[in-house]
Amino acid sequence: MNTNTSKSRFIVLVNIENKPYVSDPEGETILRDLIMEEGYSVVESVRTAKSLKMIVRAKNPKQAEKMVMKICEKLRIFNPIISSCTVNVVKSLP
Amino acid sequence: MSELTAGETKYLRKKLGRKPSAFELDVVSAEWSEHCSYKSSKKLIRKFPNRSKFVIPGLASDAALLDIGLGYVLAIHIESHNHPSAVEPYGGSATGVGGVIRDILSLGARPIALLNALRFYPLDNANKRYSQSSRWLLRNVTKGIADYGNCIGVPTVGGEVEFDRGFSNYCLVDVAAIGISKREKIIRNRSNKRDIVFLVGGATGRDGIHGSSFASKKLSGEDRSAVQIPDPFTEKLLIEAVLEAVDRGCVNAMKDLGGGGLSCCLSEISETISKGLEVDLSKVHVKEDGMSPSEIILSESQERMLVITSQTNQAYLTEILSKYNLSYSNIGSVIEGKNLVIKYAGDVIMNLPSELICRAPLIDRDTIPPESKSEDRNLYFRERPSDLYKSILKVLANPNIASKKWIYEQFDHEVGIRTVLKPGTADSSVLRLENGKYLAVKLDGNSKQCDLDPYHGTMCILSEVCRNIISTGGKPLAIIDHLQFGSPENAHIFWAFKQSVRAIINYCEFMRLPVVGGKVSFYNENNLGPIKHSPVIGSIGLIDRSEWIMMPRFGSEESIFIIGNTKDEMGGSEFYETTGRAGNGKVPIVDLNDDMRNAKAVLRLIREDVVSSLHDCSKGGLAITLCEMAMRGGNNFQVDLDKIPNSCSSISNLLFSETPSRYILSTNKRKRLNTMLSAISGLEFSEIGMTTNNGSESFLHHSKLNSPVILTQKNITDSYENLGTIMERTPVD
Repeated sequence: MNTNTSKSRFIVLVNIENKPYVSDPEGETILRDLIMEEGYSVVESVRTAKSLKMIVRAKNPKQAEKMVMKICEKLRIFNPIISSCTVNVVKSLP
Repeated sequence: MSELTAGETKYLRKKLGRKPSAFELDVVSAEWSEHCSYKSSKKLIRKFPNRSKFVIPGLASDAALLDIGLGYVLAIHIESHNHPSAVEPYGGSATGVGGVIRDILSLGARPIALLNALRFYPLDNANKRYSQSSRWLLRNVTKGIADYGNCIGVPTVGGEVEFDRGFSNYCLVDVAAIGISKREKIIRNRSNKRDIVFLVGGATGRDGIHGSSFASKKLSGEDRSAVQIPDPFTEKLLIEAVLEAVDRGCVNAMKDLGGGGLSCCLSEISETISKGLEVDLSKVHVKEDGMSPSEIILSESQERMLVITSQTNQAYLTEILSKYNLSYSNIGSVIEGKNLVIKYAGDVIMNLPSELICRAPLIDRDTIPPESKSEDRNLYFRERPSDLYKSILKVLANPNIASKKWIYEQFDHEVGIRTVLKPGTADSSVLRLENGKYLAVKLDGNSKQCDLDPYHGTMCILSEVCRNIISTGGKPLAIIDHLQFGSPENAHIFWAFKQSVRAIINYCEFMRLPVVGGKVSFYNENNLGPIKHSPVIGSIGLIDRSEWIMMPRFGSEESIFIIGNTKDEMGGSEFYETTGRAGNGKVPIVDLNDDMRNAKAVLRLIREDVVSSLHDCSKGGLAITLCEMAMRGGNNFQVDLDKIPNSCSSISNLLFSETPSRYILSTNKRKRLNTMLSAISGLEFSEIGMTTNNGSESFLHHSKLNSPVILTQKNITDSYENLGTIMERTPVD
């Protein structure tokens, strides 16, 4: 994948979290033993996730997102069996 | 979702006298899955010998119990988590550890050690894609086991790993656990009417629904619904809370929740206590709203236990559970009769005899022997000293032989301060027990030999696992087995399964060893077909005194002896595998008389204190055994190969044949040892050389070689570290 010629740079945020039907013991523990314990009853649910912030060169935001997603899939940065992965450009850099 | 066959549906309808409801069908099909019911294997494995003076009969259902003296009992169990690990190696292997720990816990015993047997595709092979996937599996399976075991404070003390082309895009993850308890604390599973049924631990969610049906099918495409997420901290609380409840006498009966979830657990415990149960599913503490009764009863959410207590002890139990901050729910009670009555919000939705749910109709599967896969012929091999030298290093570097340090260094093997022999130091792991004795424990497998010849291959594993126990000074007490095969519906595979079972019966009856526990796992297949037949056998032995604990490391200036004959038995050998000859040669045959005679001789030598170091001779053959003893002791050897009792047709066969029942030992009491061995009629042995510490080279002499094969400590050690080298070269896959 040759992207060296692309001029624009983007900050891409990758968010990896367990699929909705897969449990998340860490999030459950934070909710139960911390938030609820301290009486913050307005919070209904906590889900933890792993996020990566990448600065990438690409032609446009769409291409940046597509490329990052491809890298994450190819290198098994997440396991599609249990996790969902979302990729979003959060900022264009000069 | 019904998984019943047409015949089973008919049988169920006949028994009920009506059409089963959708809910009943869900419960019955979970329990009648191959995974829970053993419907294909039960008739065969019933024939395993299971009695000895150590075995405590009639109690154990989830794990076996052995009386080890002075009021102490050991619990042992083996489980696998192959399907889940193949799709989600981290969570799959971790929840496998959790599951087997709870099997031990459900007897009221404290888990003290874990072992694992792992199988993967080769890490560094021509097929780049499969090898990459294999490294990803190995990395994550190892991490899953390490994280879970380390978090709950149970040491992973040993195991066994095999790499083979038969495991493309798949892996086998077997975990064994050992527990200890005082005899009077063991849960007897006796319960009375009106006792209370508690579900303790993790909340019930939609995770892992239909997991046992999933494990009873082949893996294919995106049909990968059953994934479980480990929560080791909840497991740790569960262990401590349950053991405290056991200690205070507030547990009448107990069972862990595994495959099939509540449906299997409730029906099986009802059968064990010979009483009925009435349970309301709406009382179960759940993770999410809107779960249907079927989802609640089939969920395989982890870290849950079912505890039955009396009305009077109910308050003590809940006090303990609250102290550990564990969630629980009072879901019902023990009732008269033998039915399992399931309610939802007060309405009865199922009322069936537990026995009907628990006992699936057994199946007689067809068996057809396949055409022989192995050609019984010896292959020409060039035997100049330089060729033999290269072969020895190549076999040492084969990850099947090479040091497994990269794997076991990730495990905590010392937590609990009872580990005497750690992984990588000896043929089996040795633990200190409360009664002053020592426990030797080991798992072994050999899918290469079993694939070529399931009967003799399984025999070889049995012989090897016992030799491994003996080589650390232990006397084997009992055997556990885990039989992993492809689909039992394939007559060739079921034939192989039957051969393997026959081997276990024959070996254990001859050696008077009870088979105290086991597991059968079928449908281990991926998109390319079935895996190689992979029975894994475990053994435990006791060592009465610390002086009898043996290690495979040469001292200096000791005489080297071999016990046992070496034959042209190259089938499934690592040498043929490494040199591209896989599929040729004859699988070694265990001569039961020799095996017993040699084992007894070695145990006697240990007790007479004439052995300095000891190693069993198996995978890789004689050359590898000698190198391992040299590396571990930091000393060298001078061996005259002409002196080895053998019927081999070539020097390479002599060096690499995997003939069973052989031991290598070193001694500084050669005269006494010679006299003792000479007195045993029929025993084949000889003195084959000396250990040396001068210089840094080992020598193998043979009259047909114009110069000896010379090995240096550095050469053999570098080759032996190859597994770590491969994994570190490819830090991310």
